Amino acid sequence: MESIFERFWRLGPAAFVLKAIVAAIVADALLLALILLRRTYRRRYFARRDARVFELRQKWDALVSGKVPYESWRKKPFDRRIVETMALDAFEASGSEESARLLRFLRQSGLIEKRIFEARRQTGWRRMRSLVALGRTRAPEGIPALAEALRDRDLEVRLAALRGLGRMACPEAGEEILAWVGEKGLCVPALPLQSTLIQCCAERPQLLLPFVQHAEGPLREVLGRVLGEVATPSLGLDLLQFVGDDLDELRAAAARALSHTKSGLAFDLLNELARDPIWFVRLRAIVSLGKLSDPRAIPSLLRGLMDSNRLVRLRAAEALVELNTPMVPIFEQVVETGDRYGLHAYLTALENADLRAKLEQELQGSSGIKEEVRDCLQKVLRTGTLLAEEPVVSESFPDKAALLP
Amino acid sequence: MIRFLDIANHTLFWYYLASNFSYLMMLMIALKTSAAHQRSLESHRLNWINDSPMAPPIAIIAPAHNEEGSIRVAVRNLLELDYPELEIIVVNDGSEDRTLEEMREEFRLRLVRAVYIPQVECAPVRGLYRSDVDARLLVVDKEPGGSKADAVNAGLNAANSPYACVVDADSVLERDALLRIMVPILEDPKRVVAVGGIIRVLNGSEIQGGTLRRVRLPRKSIEVIQVIEYLRAFLIGREAWAQGNMLTIISGAFGLFRTDLVRAVGGYRSHTIGEDFDLVARLHRHLLEKGADYQIRFVPDPMCWTEVPSDLKSLGRQRARWQKGLLDVLWPNRDMLFRPRYGRIGCFALPYLWVFELFAPVLELGGIVTIILAASLGVLSREFFLQFLIFGYAFATVISIGSVLQEEITYKRYNDWQDVVRLVSYCFFEHFPYRQMHMVWRLQGLWQYLRGDHVWKPLKRKGLQSAQTP
Repeated sequence: MESIFERFWRLGPAAFVLKAIVAAIVADALLLALILLRRTYRRRYFARRDARVFELRQKWDALVSGKVPYESWRKKPFDRRIVETMALDAFEASGSEESARLLRFLRQSGLIEKRIFEARRQTGWRRMRSLVALGRTRAPEGIPALAEALRDRDLEVRLAALRGLGRMACPEAGEEILAWVGEKGLCVPALPLQSTLIQCCAERPQLLLPFVQHAEGPLREVLGRVLGEVATPSLGLDLLQFVGDDLDELRAAAARALSHTKSGLAFDLLNELARDPIWFVRLRAIVSLGKLSDPRAIPSLLRGLMDSNRLVRLRAAEALVELNTPMVPIFEQVVETGDRYGLHAYLTALENADLRAKLEQELQGSSGIKEEVRDCLQKVLRTGTLLAEEPVVSESFPDKAALLP
Repeated sequence: MIRFLDIANHTLFWYYLASNFSYLMMLMIALKTSAAHQRSLESHRLNWINDSPMAPPIAIIAPAHNEEGSIRVAVRNLLELDYPELEIIVVNDGSEDRTLEEMREEFRLRLVRAVYIPQVECAPVRGLYRSDVDARLLVVDKEPGGSKADAVNAGLNAANSPYACVVDADSVLERDALLRIMVPILEDPKRVVAVGGIIRVLNGSEIQGGTLRRVRLPRKSIEVIQVIEYLRAFLIGREAWAQGNMLTIISGAFGLFRTDLVRAVGGYRSHTIGEDFDLVARLHRHLLEKGADYQIRFVPDPMCWTEVPSDLKSLGRQRARWQKGLLDVLWPNRDMLFRPRYGRIGCFALPYLWVFELFAPVLELGGIVTIILAASLGVLSREFFLQFLIFGYAFATVISIGSVLQEEITYKRYNDWQDVVRLVSYCFFEHFPYRQMHMVWRLQGLWQYLRGDHVWKPLKRKGLQSAQTP
């Protein structure tokens, strides 16, 4: 039997081109027909839908209260889809009383049961659509069906289930997700998982602790980041265990979470994390120290101002500027560090916060410092350069660093 | 001679067939991936990103040179973009008009001493200004660098965010464009190093206060043909290449990059003609040489609307410049060709660009010459030639209509029936004489480059202020 290539060759260029012409013309015609039919169909569909939406909207209250029998619209897929969409849209924008009424309507009309059934039995995009719709209802009875879908082989279905659970935004949904990642590991992209967990665990962040302790690899990083976001003062001492963790992400998460605690230990731990060899851990620690807005953080923030990383310097400067303490002593200490990069980061933060004039005023009115020191500080503030001309070279950019203007 | 003509014609026939076949493949891949992307969008909720505390900061870098007419509107548009952590850096590249003054008045700029570390090379900076109206806005006023690349480099030096999004100051970004372009990065932040968005033709659309109100097809034929070209290039070409992680170009009008990587490769090359293509090529080289596992992605839905040339002269200059830019990047990177170290880029993407993009006008010209010669020597089969022409015409139309279909089933921005009918009609009419003119412009570009003309000439644009508001 001759191969396809031999046949192709035997066709000869002329015959081949002739066939190709026919094929191309047919393809053109088909593409045009598809565009035309699709446009016509969509135009008619939307016109019909629009008219029906208007009719249903007129009797919306009667529909929701059940005065219009559910059977009158439930059996018509076209109407059912419209009613469900209208109910879910209203649900998202309503207050607690109205959402309770709508949830009752969704339950009594059997729409939730129908979606649960579809989420379990359907496949492909129909299942995905049901999962997302089920999540939008925020009905707790939908959680098991969503949790089942998390174990689907198709990534898109898993993502739809995850998003559905995220819409639930309740600890029960969070428990299901954590149980699933504990069992299967990280089998979805990190971002949707993080976002969902943040929403579901915000109310009860304690849920995360055992999973963070036992998880490994990238999953541990993800859970650590979530913990850093949702941590509340109630976690307090529980976070201590992560301060010395081997995983950089987890130390950074601990640093972020410590800003939420009121414990006196937080300062010591954040001071320790502000010396971490990893820059983003230091960055988180500096930001957290800034959030605590306590003068005890000043030494660490000044050290952060001289950090080799530019982001750390900028955040330390912002934190120093935002401290609710007299500005002159801080400025004096900034100048004393002798670090030009630190000074400019401080001046940048000062100008961004529009507090330069305030510092000038404070300097003029300050009586607790010697006149020559005040003159010196005023000069530094005015010129933006240190009086000692010895250049202080940044560790990170030894050759290229330059300051403006 | 006859033998030579026979070989030449056969070669051209197979070349043409291969080119069309590769386009057909790309169309099929693009249709499949677009459908999948649309489905995945159904379960995406962009406001999650907007509300997420984990969305990484983005520095938008917008170079501006003599944009006094449109700069206020353009910057206001950037400030209104939906994204939780933004840093907007407008680089005034030595404008000789009132660009800086306009911004100073509108956004109450004040000179600040911000940290500026010239990690990548650019012309000297005169001053940095922070806005009192919106603290996210930083204006870098610099000496003229003579190129957009130089201005972007200044912006990169001032940026403090891990991602940098380079936009043209005279383009219009859709409000959720940043949320959409960030989706691939948020899904896989370790591997995705750059993402390109789609560029669409602004001409003809209704603009109000710098915001796109209604998408309409332009009136001029030359602009409509460019709409089809952009659809073909983005919705088919880039979509398909990105599927194989072989995207070699991210448009300079709208692209997102990891700031540290752009700095690591030295930023944009100031004296290159196609700076956007050049940057992506150097990123590929840098990462492949390091053996990094990375991805450069394309997302078809974050849209950036830009003005295209509306007269033949400007269009010709633009196309000649693109061709020069292509050669300007391909030539220094010729060592990447067919070397296993450079993977798919060296073995597929770059050879494709050499054969089907760079040499295309030369081969087309060669084809015309040999056909004329063959006809004059009486060795050309008229019947075959006619068939070949009809096939070429019909097939090229398939690709163009395919791109219109792609737009129809996915983003459907042209809602008006009239617009679609016109768009489809132009799929049939663009082949004569536009294609031949295009070939001439590209040949001119090659010729200019080979003669040593490597100058980047800016195009005349009307600007946002004067965009159509019927």
